[in-house]
Amino acid sequence: MELIALVKLALDTGQLRVSGDKLDIENTPLKISDIDRNAVEAAVQIKEKVGGRVRAISVLKYGPVQKRVQEAEGLIREVLAMGADEAFLVADNALVNTDQLVTAKVIAAVIRKLGNFDLILAGEASIDGYTGQVGPRVAAELGIPVVTYARELRVDGNKLTIKRDLEEAVQTVEVTTPALVTVTREINVPRIPPLLQIRMAMKKPINKLSLADLGISLGSPMEVKGVSLVQVRRKGVIIKEGSVDDKVNKLIEALIQEGIITRG
Amino acid sequence: MVNILIVGSQGDYGLVGLAQRVGDAVVHYLVVGGDATGLERYGVSKAFIVQGVVDEQSLANAVLELARANNYALIISPINKFYRTAMPMVAQSLGAPLIMDVTDLKPSGDTFEVSFNGIGSRAQVTAGVKQPAILMAPPARFKPTEKPTSMSKETLQVKSVGQVKVVSTEEKARGGVRIEDAELIVSVGRGFKKKEDLQLAFDLAKVLGAEIGCSRPIAADLKWLSEDHWVGLSGHKVRPKLYMAIGISGQPQHLAGMMESRVVVVINNDPNAPFFKNCDYGVVEDLYKFVPALTNKLRELLKK
Repeated sequence: MELIALVKLALDTGQLRVSGDKLDIENTPLKISDIDRNAVEAAVQIKEKVGGRVRAISVLKYGPVQKRVQEAEGLIREVLAMGADEAFLVADNALVNTDQLVTAKVIAAVIRKLGNFDLILAGEASIDGYTGQVGPRVAAELGIPVVTYARELRVDGNKLTIKRDLEEAVQTVEVTTPALVTVTREINVPRIPPLLQIRMAMKKPINKLSLADLGISLGSPMEVKGVSLVQVRRKGVIIKEGSVDDKVNKLIEALIQEGIITRG
Repeated sequence: MVNILIVGSQGDYGLVGLAQRVGDAVVHYLVVGGDATGLERYGVSKAFIVQGVVDEQSLANAVLELARANNYALIISPINKFYRTAMPMVAQSLGAPLIMDVTDLKPSGDTFEVSFNGIGSRAQVTAGVKQPAILMAPPARFKPTEKPTSMSKETLQVKSVGQVKVVSTEEKARGGVRIEDAELIVSVGRGFKKKEDLQLAFDLAKVLGAEIGCSRPIAADLKWLSEDHWVGLSGHKVRPKLYMAIGISGQPQHLAGMMESRVVVVINNDPNAPFFKNCDYGVVEDLYKFVPALTNKLRELLKK
């Protein structure tokens, strides 16, 4: 089976850098969007079962591109160590500050360049933008069906049986390939590759592409004007000294001070 | 004057309030679930009523067809998994941006200035967007003003694409909680070793008069609690007076769901849990020792 995993190199929202009240995107480290690890794991598991190969596609969305490419390659190595066979990284200054319309067009262009595919897997949403729109957008761009929020996926020839995790129900659907499926974190536990796999991943190819390589030029219909961090000031009082009872008393005193509870 | 389309159930009419921020606009409403009664009160001039059950792809095609016929500057929908699947397909086919979790909108020449919660709800972002654009927002955020008009109704037969076949649908269990409205929340995470141990938190919540919240693994993975308890970016967003997180490490996706809480208490035996960096009061202690002691002391104090 020809499998493709979409892997976002996301802002590490646990390590956001700030300057004033503005988010300092250029100095915030990237990480593989957590749920995309589940997508890679799902792809690798299918490969292990039915054969085929897994190719990963990443589009670098955050600048400075020059500086980020090395960081991006390091992250993509993790995906290769998990069992992807080859990776494609689109890095181009023109992609910084573009929206998801552009991301989807770029991903679709890479996929067309790769030729045949059966199943495209992606996380239900990226951990930074968390809008979850790139999966369905890519499907629309390629004119293939999309199934979102998969928490179980079974492959039987060219038929996929999927359990979708919706708000109020679990829906079981069937679709035939080619198709795009977005997965939730519950679908699997992404493997942590052993050292040997990590070494072997150094030999796997990461193909770097620019927009010119893909033969496309794009304009974004959206221009971000300002990003200010929602800053919540917390008191940060840590209670760690003393016995359990001491700690209980300290916390209760604090809750009374805050007006949360009143002595009965 | 621009044309705007709202896509949603009849109960999502709060979104008309977002459309009204454009000023002079013709507002159409594609009603998915409901008969459009009452929408004319808010200035909706035309309602398209979808018959029967539709899937995401089929709805996307129907919206696309309406968009091409009526040249909508904006298409607005609520945020749930159905629309999160359908609307990006519409956006891509129209070559349009899609902005999620919109908080404000104003026209600015032939573009719009849109504000929204971004970066996992950690940032307020403002962007200039061209027409057409898709906006998604929680309907309850907006209050439409009344401006009664005459409204025409049209029944819309949505052609089924049928690429994705629904085999079965199984309703999820529900706990009957509205955690979004809770004033006090005791929230549980992976620090609890087994389901029965949650009783410790239930006892504490009872003494406090609090609702029970939880992190993603407890609801989505282990299913120890129903999903209406789930606090986080893909669960529920809460804003209680007190949020007491017990045995929750504090992943960014969880924090995004409870950031607006007034007082945050964290109880965890791991002093390096990231949650301690985002709390008002952090207790470093084994929850199995601390929580029963806290419950007993509170019971005495509150005479319960």
